[in-house]
Amino acid sequence: MTGPGARGAELESLEVDLLLEGVARQWGFDLRSRSRPQLLRRLRRHLREERLDSFSALQARVLHDAEALDALLRTLSCTAPALFSEAAFFRDFRARVVPVLRTWPSVRVWHAGCGTGEDTYALAILLQEEGLWGRCRLYASDASEGLLADARTGVLPLPTQEDAQRYLEAGGKAALSDYYTRDGNWALLQPKLRDSIFFTQHNLATDGSFNEFHVIVCRDTLLTFNRALHDHVHGRLFESLARFGFLCLGRKESLTRTPHAGAYEVLEGCGRIFRRVA
Amino acid sequence: MSPLGLLVVGAPRAAAADVESVLALLPPHLAVPVVLALHRGPLDALAAPLGRRCALPVVEPDDKDLLVPGAVYLAPAGYHLLVDRGSVALSVEPPEHGQRPGLDALFESAADSHGPRAAGLLFAGHEDGVAGLHALQARGGRVAVVGPHPAGGEGEDGEMEQLTLGSVGGWLARLAYVPRSKVLP
Repeated sequence: MTGPGARGAELESLEVDLLLEGVARQWGFDLRSRSRPQLLRRLRRHLREERLDSFSALQARVLHDAEALDALLRTLSCTAPALFSEAAFFRDFRARVVPVLRTWPSVRVWHAGCGTGEDTYALAILLQEEGLWGRCRLYASDASEGLLADARTGVLPLPTQEDAQRYLEAGGKAALSDYYTRDGNWALLQPKLRDSIFFTQHNLATDGSFNEFHVIVCRDTLLTFNRALHDHVHGRLFESLARFGFLCLGRKESLTRTPHAGAYEVLEGCGRIFRRVA
Repeated sequence: MSPLGLLVVGAPRAAAADVESVLALLPPHLAVPVVLALHRGPLDALAAPLGRRCALPVVEPDDKDLLVPGAVYLAPAGYHLLVDRGSVALSVEPPEHGQRPGLDALFESAADSHGPRAAGLLFAGHEDGVAGLHALQARGGRVAVVGPHPAGGEGEDGEMEQLTLGSVGGWLARLAYVPRSKVLP
């Protein structure tokens, strides 16, 4: 059946391709290697929010206006909504990774794809509670300067009761409210946490390895990439991870069929924390 | 009609038992993958109970897993499950209609990636899924709604096929019949 729906789909697909081509050539952001279904959904949402009729209209705007591009990149990113949003990961990290980190004199941690920083700050709180903050360097990177600017402020929507509960489930040793001061509906995180995190702009798709790390946290970031870019980025992560270092992925991400899968061992009973052994 | 390449099923939480009985109707040598999104909370264990009476394996896929014919792919808790041609794509986009996994998300991705080669089955009872099913229908996919009430409510076009739990089996059989009748040049 080829009705108007099918023809409309072809036209939409063409317009999306032109938009992505334009963004890549004008701004150097190559979105063509994104996971196509998610990209289409995010773009359509962005179109509705901007009250535009077609991707051609969006293209006209984005090519001429850096702020419009930033708004587009923001819509495409899906960052953790709250501190300790996945308690199980932080609990496992505390139980299985922290004891090993204690035995090392210094530890470099890279949070790749930090978005607006919720998980980065959760990690910083955890490392501080475990007494590792003094010898840890925590780097957090994202491709979007706009999101990084948000992350750097150290200001988050005020944590809810549920957030505080998840913090305790994650093995929290104090109260979540000890780590921020309230300002209306916002929480200002301790300057001590904020100032010791190195926020840096880094595009996983195009930029190379920038250091060697003992821990790389890259959770649910690669979901937005297609298979080819996903595998390519895993190559970069592998190059950036010291031998016996830890790679922490999202709950439903796997190393199967990635180029260096054989060099990792999964930590048993711990979700998706892998250790580089070769 | 294009040969069938994918069956997508969406259901609200209240329809979990109905989904289980429909999965039991699937033949053991189904020639297409089945992708299923069911509204769920973070702690529901669903794959095992849904697979009890199903002849096919019911799995919660990892991101970018390949879609293999004859398996049922269940959306994991906390993720939207999308299809991307021959593989699944998980997504942590915000919940829609308060739900993640969402039904619209799955149907929309099936419409984009498979179009007329996808068939969509929606269990009525929730607003989520209606728009996505219409998108799939607009792209030429074969769609039907299971349940007592028309899922679209008033004002929606009445072309969408309405099924009862008893008639789903026949609908599935007709889907399976189409590709076999197709004579390839």
